This record gives sequence, C-alpha cells and structure tokens, in this order.
Amino acid sequence: MTDLAIVTEKLTRRFGALTAVDNIDLCVTAGQFFGFLGPNGAGKSTTIKMLTGLLAPTSGRVQLLGLDFSSQSVEVKRQIGVVPEGMGLFERLTGAEYLNFVGRMYGLDHGTTLQRTRELLEFMQLADRPKSMIADYSHGMQKKLALAAAVIHGPRILFLDEPFEGVDALAAGALKALLSRMTARGVTIFLTSHVLEIVERLCSHVGIIHQGRLVAQGSIEELRAGIAGEAGSKTTLEQIFLSIVGQSGAERAQIEELSWLT
Amino acid sequence: MADIAQPVGILKQITLIAGLRWRMLHNFLRRKQNRLDLIGVIILGVVVCVFVIGVCFALSAGAYDFVSSGRIAWLGLLFWAIFLWWQLLPIMVAGFGASFDFRTMLRFPLRFGAFYIIGLAYGLADFTGLAAVCWIIAIIFGVAAANLALLPALILMSVLFIALNVALERLVGSWMERLMAGRRTRELFVAGFILLMLALQLVGPLLNRYGDSAEPLFMRALPYLSYFPASLVGKGVGAAAAGSYGAFALAAAGMACYPALFGALLWMRFAAQYRGEELSETPAAAKINRNNAERAELGADGLSLLSPQVAAVIRKEVRYLLRNGFAAMMLLLPPGLVFALISQSSLLNFMGSKGISPELFFPALVAYIVLILMTPAYNSFAYENAGVQTYFTAPLRFREVFLGKNFVQVCLIAIELALCIAAFCYRVGMPSAPIFLATLAAIVFTVVGQLSIANWSSLSFPRKLTFGQIHGQRQSRMAVLIAFSAQLLLFAISSLVLGLGRWTGDRWLPAKAFTLLAVAATGGYVASLDALTSYAEKKKEKLIEALCR
Repeated sequence: MTDLAIVTEKLTRRFGALTAVDNIDLCVTAGQFFGFLGPNGAGKSTTIKMLTGLLAPTSGRVQLLGLDFSSQSVEVKRQIGVVPEGMGLFERLTGAEYLNFVGRMYGLDHGTTLQRTRELLEFMQLADRPKSMIADYSHGMQKKLALAAAVIHGPRILFLDEPFEGVDALAAGALKALLSRMTARGVTIFLTSHVLEIVERLCSHVGIIHQGRLVAQGSIEELRAGIAGEAGSKTTLEQIFLSIVGQSGAERAQIEELSWLT
Repeated sequence: MADIAQPVGILKQITLIAGLRWRMLHNFLRRKQNRLDLIGVIILGVVVCVFVIGVCFALSAGAYDFVSSGRIAWLGLLFWAIFLWWQLLPIMVAGFGASFDFRTMLRFPLRFGAFYIIGLAYGLADFTGLAAVCWIIAIIFGVAAANLALLPALILMSVLFIALNVALERLVGSWMERLMAGRRTRELFVAGFILLMLALQLVGPLLNRYGDSAEPLFMRALPYLSYFPASLVGKGVGAAAAGSYGAFALAAAGMACYPALFGALLWMRFAAQYRGEELSETPAAAKINRNNAERAELGADGLSLLSPQVAAVIRKEVRYLLRNGFAAMMLLLPPGLVFALISQSSLLNFMGSKGISPELFFPALVAYIVLILMTPAYNSFAYENAGVQTYFTAPLRFREVFLGKNFVQVCLIAIELALCIAAFCYRVGMPSAPIFLATLAAIVFTVVGQLSIANWSSLSFPRKLTFGQIHGQRQSRMAVLIAFSAQLLLFAISSLVLGLGRWTGDRWLPAKAFTLLAVAATGGYVASLDALTSYAEKKKEKLIEALCR
C-alpha cells in the first residue's frame, strides 16, 4: 500500500504557444497539508484543474492514491473532494438541495446524505436560511457551502482553490479547525492561497510554482533552511516566497520609474 | 506631481467605444468555436436577408401603386406596418438592444451627451431597426419611381419617423429593462405575454362573432388614428402632393413633436441611468421554516429505481425548471396555443369545407408541439453556469447526466403531447388507427432522434443563459442552425414516409416504417451515450469555459 496521495510525472499543459504548466513532478504524502503557492498566472489553477479532472494535461501523468487518473477517473473522483475556482455551485438550488444533490452524485444513500447535509449546514452556520437560493448567498456563504459539498462524501484528498477568499474571520477560524482535524485523521489537503500567513499556519509542506515550473517543494522548515541556512529559523514564508519568485532588481527599478503616481 | 486626465470630447468617446466594440468582435472571432458560431450567424443572416429584401420589394411595389393610383395617404398603412414591427418585435423577442451593456461604460468619465448618443445608436443598430430602415428606404424608392416631386416631403417625414421609432423603442426597452430587473415583475411580464399570445388566437372567433356590430365603432375611431405618426406620414406626403403646403407643414410639425417628446422622455430615463441606477434585484427575506424544508427533503419522489446520479440530475432539473419562471411558462405556450386553435369553430368549419380530415391535421399539430418543445434541448447546459464543474468532479460517467436531462425533457414532451392529443381527440375527433399509431411512432423517432443530436450540440456549442432573464439572452447561432437542420431533416424523412404510405395505398406502411425508425433512433441514442461521454471529456474545457465565464 502506498502512502503517496498525489504524484505527478512531467505534468504539462499548453494553451497554444503558451506553456501554462511545464513538466511538474509533484509528490504529496498522504495526510499532508500541502500549500501550493505561486504568483498570479504562475499555473496554480491550471495544475489544480488537471489534478481534479477539470482539465486534460497535454502530457504527463497524474496519480492520486496510487490510481492513475486517466484510466481510473471515476474511482479517483470518488475519493477526492474539490472546491474549484468559481466554486461550481448550482445557484438556483438551496444550500440543502445542493448538498443533497452532491451527496447523491457521490453515491451516498438518501439517509446518510440527509444527515450529513444537516450536520454540515449547522457546522457552516448556513442552516438558518433553508429557503434561500445559493444565488442569494453572500460570497463567503457560497465558499462555506462549496467546502461543505467538497467534504460531504468523506474524501481522502481535498483540493481547495483559494478556500479562504471572501470568508469572514469567524468562519475562516472554523474552517481552519475543520481542515486541521481532517489532516489529523489522515486526509490529504492540497490548497492554493494568496494569503501566505494562512498557508504558513496551516500547511506542513508547500510547493512553489513560477512561470509554469515547480521551483521549490518540501516542508516549510526545509525551504527555510535552504534559503537562509541555520541562521534563518525566523524567516517567514513570505520571505521565502519572495526570495524564490520575488521581483528582480530590474523589475523594482521599473516600478520606481512610475514617478507620475506620486 | 500627479497628472490629471484631460477632458475627452463626445466624438472621441463615441469613437473609442466603437473601437472597443470592434476589438471585442475581433477577439471573439479569434476563437475557433466562435468562428463556427459566425458561420451559423451568416447562414441565418442569409435567410433573414431574403425575408428583409422580399419585404423591401413588396413595400416598394405597394408604395409605387399607392402613389401612381393617387391614393397617397394610404402610404400611412405601410408606415403603420413598419411602426408595429419596430415597436412590437423587440417586446416579443425581449431582446432590447445588444447583449453588450453599454452602461458599464459609465465607470469612465463619459459625458452624458456621448452616453445618450451611444444609447440611441444601439437602438438603430439592432436587427429590428436595420430592417425597418431598409423598408423605409424601399418605400422611398417606390414613391420616387412614381412621383419624384414627392421625394423631399417623404424624406423629411421618414427621417422624423425613424427618429421617433428609435427614441420610442429605446424608451420602452429601457423601462422594460428596469421593470424586469425584479424577479416578480419579470415573471408577471412573461405571464402577461403568454396570455397575450393566447388572446391573439381568439381575435378570429371574436371578429366572426362581433365583427359586424363592432364595425361602426371602429369606423368612428378611425379618424383619430390619423394623429398617430404612421398616419401623419401618409397625410403629410398626401398634402405635399396636393400642393397644400400649410397642411404639410402642420403634419410635419405634428410629426416632429413625437421624436421631441419621446427623445425628452428618453433623456430623462438615460439621465437616471447616468446618475447611477441600481437594477439588480434584492433577494427576498427568507422565512425560517426548517420543518417544511426538511419535509421537502425527506419526501419520496419515486426515483429510487434509478441510479442515484441519474435521480439526482432529474431532481435538480425539475427544481431548476420550477424556479425558472420564464422557461416554465414557455412550456405552457404550445398546449395553450393548441387549445386555442382547436377551440375555434371557424377552424373546424374551414377543415370541413376544404375536406381536410383529422388524418392530416393531427400529425401536423403533433409535429408543431415537438418542434417547439425540443428547442431547449440543443443547449441543455445553458443554465448550469459554474455548476457544470460538479459533473466533471463527481464520480460519474457523463451518460448519467444526459440520461437525467433527457428523461426530464421526454417526460415534459410526453405530458404536453398527451394533453394536446386528448384535447384534439375530444374536440376534432380521433384520427384513424393507422395514422394515430404512425404519429405516435413518429413522435418517438423524432424526439429520440433529436435527443442524440441535441446532446452533441449542447456539448459542442454551449452558451450560458442567465436564469429567469429574457433581456439580451442569445443562443449560439450554430446550435440554432443545427436544431433547424435536424428538424428539417426529420420533417423531410417523416413527410417521405407519409408520402410513401399514400403513394402505395398501404395505410399501415407509415406506422410500420416509423416503428422501425423509432427502434433505430432508440438504438442510436443508446449507442450515442457512450460516444457522448468520451466527447464530453474532450469538450469539458470549452464547456466549463463557456458556462463559467
């Protein structure tokens, strides 16, 4: 039995002449809380889409929980949960109806779906608006519902694309607690976020993608040691990130040239 | 020191927005999918052009005849037709202006003058306006051919007529847009529209019954119509022909009042938009009634025999349909029209007098229902929006999605057809057994045959539609073309089969042939599901991109 949850081999995606993801070899162990970082347009969302079956790779392989995605996609999808970019909600259903729909799509029986729906709505503090359609939810409420839908079937890997964007501090706290509990129970979480403080606090391991290439991968301590050596034990993830993909001196000079802004 | 943006002239701003529209069109055509859509637009455009040019000839000939026979005031009739077209068609299709919302430009320092002119230009640039202008030009040619001296007067009146129509159409469109921003008013409007369509079917019987007694009333009201713009055009040109320049000036002045009035009202309306008008609807406060919600969730729906995935899609489709007032009400239209049609005694008398038996009328009626009800299937993911991603992240094969969607579609068609057939048999009479059975088999053949093509079209040419909204909703032109071609093909095959039955004298031949075709279509449909599952996998990126945009 393998303890590798996510493995990619030379994963590549091209859009015409543009190579959005270039020969990525990812390796995420089961139970890891893995943060996938990168500047805007680096290829994070393209990678997560390929890992969840929303986008076909141009070349390369994806293996989740030892199963090959291209040949065993249904079996793989049964074991993963996804909060995609744009959340993928059916906006004209109520929260409960949507969770019921998703539960049934994942093959849960009626009773289990109903029970989990109730529990998830309570946990996410969405139970007090049973008749509201998702279209009438706030952005944060939609995020919480999307997360609830992603976990309703008890996935072994959870893919989250910017899960904390637009979520208030209280809800974010509850979500973080839930995610931490899930990793403690052996669930692998793969998340992208722009908020490096959150990633630093939650994730044990990170991968950094820049211009379509995986430029760093490992535990935060390993990256810290790699960047600053023994003396850098207080180096933040932001500093690590900037030192790997941050602006070069030439780019900074260009910005300083925008004198008309002042 | 920071720069301050320099004021930009109205003309420059209009040029910039025209450039923006051109750039958007250019970028739209860079995608292969959109280029295919353009082919659909071109082919449909040719059909529409034939219609517009045909009407041009008819109007030109009519105008020539009226002027050369001395009935110049009758030109007003032609302008009445154009006026009704220009004002009513946009309401019928509810496509006020282009889907590009020019109000988004308001975040830039756009002058109100530029905003107003751009708003008017959009009114003139849609299909209804362009066709109407073509027809007015055709009338001018017809009049010029008959009497060149009338040209200046006609041109002046025509320009005023065009200005009035543009202003009025934009004004009505703008108010409709505002009213329909609210869900309740929008659905009331759709309900009213459907009732109007049904009421129109009753015009014939009402005229038959009350026509004679209403005629004096109508004749008394007729003179007042001469104060309306279309009549004023005929009146003014007639006065110019008679050399009564005072009367012409009066008619022209009267005519000028209309664009001035509607232009001023439009100015006020656009000013409200320019100041910043919130059109989005506020969600209704939700009542907390957990017991009801739970009861609804627990309610058995008899779908337990199906696979959980198919059943989930069916439940979702039914909920979506019930919450999409526009789509749900459109379903009422075909049976409503059929009931109105077969309830007319004049139709039955006509059929009797022409020797038309139910044998012919019955299949035609059924074909009409199928034709209308199958159209949404050609873009069946239209309302999924971002939700479509769930179908690709969930552990299912795409055939299950199609099975769920098609099941709902077929059930709706079956219910509507059953109602219509029952009403037809009650009112007109039962067709003979061979025709009845042939029609039933033909229904299976055409519906199932179309489902395979429609599923392919839904994956190939998806177009996002906004829920419960009728403003600016456009299907992919390629999907429209495919639907049109498929229906034409199936209609041709069905006609051939019916023709063969008549030609050979074998009354049961159509029933047998349609049964065979229905079996073949069903086999083809079942086989297509697996192929479509693979095809969906190939097309998923385009589908997600089109619906999540």
